[in-house]
Amino acid sequence: MAPITVFQARKIITMDPNCPEATHVAVRDGRILAVGGAGCADQWGDVVHDHSLADAVLMPGMVEGHAHMMAGAMWKFAYAGFHDRMDPQGKWWRGKPDIATVVCDLTDHAQSLPEDQPLIGWGLDPIFFTGERLSRAHLDQISTTRPIAIMFSNFHLMCVNSAALAQAGYDHATNVEGVVKGPDGAPTGELQEMAAMFPVMRRLGMDFRGLSQTEAAIESYGAVCMRAGVTTVTDLYSQMEDADLAILRQVTARASYPTRLVPVLGVAGADPETAAARAQALARQGTDKLRLGAVKLMTDGSIQGWTARVKWPGYVGGQPNGIWNMAPDEIRRMVATMQAAGVQMHIHVNGDEASEVAIDAIEQAARHSPWPGARHVLQHCQMMGPDQFARCAELGICTNIFANHIWYFGDQHAALTIGEDRAKRMDALRAALDAGVHAAIHSDAPVTPLGPLFTAWCAVNRQTMSGRVLGAAQCVSVAEALHAITLGAAYTLKMDGEVGSIEAGKFADFAILGEDPLAVPAQALKDVPVLGTVLAGQVHLA
Amino acid sequence: MSVLPRLPLTVIGGYLGAGKTTLLNRLLSEPHGQKIMVMVNDFGAINIDAALIAQADGDTISLTNGCVCCTMGNDLFMALGDALDRCPRPDHLVIEASGISDPAKIAMAARAEPDMAYGGIAVVVDGQNWPKLADDPLIGAQMRGQVQVADVLLVSKTGGMVPPSLAVRLAALSRAPLMDLADLPQVAPVLLGGVAPAPQPGALPGGMAAHPAYVGWSHQGPEQFERRTLEALLAARPAGIYRLKGHVLSPDGALEVHVVGPTVDIKPAQSDSTRMVAIGLASQINRETIAAWWASAAA
Ligand SMILES: [Zn+2]
Repeated sequence: MAPITVFQARKIITMDPNCPEATHVAVRDGRILAVGGAGCADQWGDVVHDHSLADAVLMPGMVEGHAHMMAGAMWKFAYAGFHDRMDPQGKWWRGKPDIATVVCDLTDHAQSLPEDQPLIGWGLDPIFFTGERLSRAHLDQISTTRPIAIMFSNFHLMCVNSAALAQAGYDHATNVEGVVKGPDGAPTGELQEMAAMFPVMRRLGMDFRGLSQTEAAIESYGAVCMRAGVTTVTDLYSQMEDADLAILRQVTARASYPTRLVPVLGVAGADPETAAARAQALARQGTDKLRLGAVKLMTDGSIQGWTARVKWPGYVGGQPNGIWNMAPDEIRRMVATMQAAGVQMHIHVNGDEASEVAIDAIEQAARHSPWPGARHVLQHCQMMGPDQFARCAELGICTNIFANHIWYFGDQHAALTIGEDRAKRMDALRAALDAGVHAAIHSDAPVTPLGPLFTAWCAVNRQTMSGRVLGAAQCVSVAEALHAITLGAAYTLKMDGEVGSIEAGKFADFAILGEDPLAVPAQALKDVPVLGTVLAGQVHLA
Repeated sequence: MSVLPRLPLTVIGGYLGAGKTTLLNRLLSEPHGQKIMVMVNDFGAINIDAALIAQADGDTISLTNGCVCCTMGNDLFMALGDALDRCPRPDHLVIEASGISDPAKIAMAARAEPDMAYGGIAVVVDGQNWPKLADDPLIGAQMRGQVQVADVLLVSKTGGMVPPSLAVRLAALSRAPLMDLADLPQVAPVLLGGVAPAPQPGALPGGMAAHPAYVGWSHQGPEQFERRTLEALLAARPAGIYRLKGHVLSPDGALEVHVVGPTVDIKPAQSDSTRMVAIGLASQINRETIAAWWASAAA
């Protein structure tokens, strides 16, 4: 008989209404055997008591339903973002509130690099800077000989120094859209969109494919998750090739690997029949720690890039409506094919016109191929109102809401993108729950940092960077937010029978916390320390 | 400067069902003599003549004429890098842009990348459905945008004639030459242009000048132009030339020129003479007009 370990904790938040609170949880074979007091597992045989977590608070391992694997491997590049952020090793990188700090910190960082290695940075978001734009002149202060490229947080822009411009052959004679030029006719160093960035990325060895699927990338993603208390994580536009499956299986199978990984296959642009067949084949290759078989569809772009498809009255600045990355016709065909094949879909929808097209497509597909348990998931759902949530409830569609946007971009949305009225009701978890929709909330890491407690804080407080509350009517309780980052997200992955709460039969996946998130003030939810995780009964300390 | 010749990139745009795949099938089976690499999103609709297939494995189909067709996977720009690093490097890269996408976002890479040459954007316009798509409240702007960035407009499904109302609408959006796909005896001259400047003046290399539908012109000489003068000369080129390419000597080193429809791309190059090749449609231009235009500047 396998040994039984009984973990003692200061408090265990179970998310199980049959036993909401406990002090002990018994684990056998990686699963929860019993929950309650010190003697909860005595009827099952001899137990071993583990007091190492006795001072900690346990809650179900958190579930991140929308993040990307590159959130781990991005850290092989230098962080240049506005906010303080922790890397996979647990080191905090100071935020860079202005260009001077970007230059100063990256100059320090350059000292640690070999002479012949380019300096590559990421995470810069000039939407937060006032005044001057970052240019090659600033980066030349770091080095005029070492090529430097700083990728912006939206991955659509970068800024490079003169040495990198020279390697790409960009000069005053260059006449390429996206190579921004100053009044003197010379490139400023800002490069917009992939075509203009491509020559630099190719020469500097910025291999984005290498940020997923490699052993190192999978490992560092696991480390990021563990420090955030996440035990089940998606890679929500996996570009895995069939050849990548072996390494995914191998790395996730290690007992030291602290996370269950759910790669969701990107299918934008693919032939629907072929993609559905591939998803079905992948579904059969899953393990307890690697779940496969769902697909991700694209629709529109992003609101802060003015590329989301929004309904009337459009953008406050009068920008033209956004763009479709998959045409509505393609979306309908893909949705119909996946529904008929029994493949669960996650559908990116930022603007309310995009979410409407997606809901229409699912409704139409459901008429042809009824599938009550499909649990298709709309992802981001930023502008959905009660009308669309009601339709989701009718159709059994789940919503995963981009709550982090409220804090990171809420002020910008009110002032610059969709205006005050619609900004106040955006990322509306309250409306979703009131409509009876199964809902989760997410970070979209690396777009914003992985950290479900922070995401929950956003949904509870709806506070923006300027300190205002953006639409108090949409705030939810702490308990509701904790549900969204555990069972709510698990439901969207069809894993609510296995993870998301601490109850007998489920995997022994816990987040180890330094404080009780239900006891601290709601404003302090984001500051609750994450000490590590337990995955299948194995303790991983941060 | 790289040792290998630049890899020319042509992007095929157009909505779903417009006829991009049919066009690619035609291109792959024509006797153009070039080793073309065609990248598609999916083999789904590609239907290559079985007799032409030398080998098929997973995401690549090799043809007996030296061409290859492959799927680009999820990361287009990574695939672009792979094509550049491929050994031997293909003579020409042709990418099928997905139905709704902006082909210029891909084609711009050929202008940006020193190791690539601009081969232009050919947009396939569905002769029957395009007007309806262009007025669609959801995708109309993107449909019109594709036409706006096109270097060559190829109209499909015309049944013998481009409807005048369609031609007028397209002309209002684009200066690109408009061709009825059904009228084109071969598509390679339109999509790829000539291979290299021909040795004798007036003739085009390969088999592509042979057809009377196309007019070819080539020229070799010692003349030099300041870059600015060259740009002015190219801007004044006669209508009806849809492709023009070659090397031009200039005081600051030679320049490589690629003109496709309305787009002019110039990059530094190495050359010991000025050599140019032009192609147009016989119905729209003759060799003498092209020769006279160039001679006027060289004089
Ligand atoms: Zn995402």
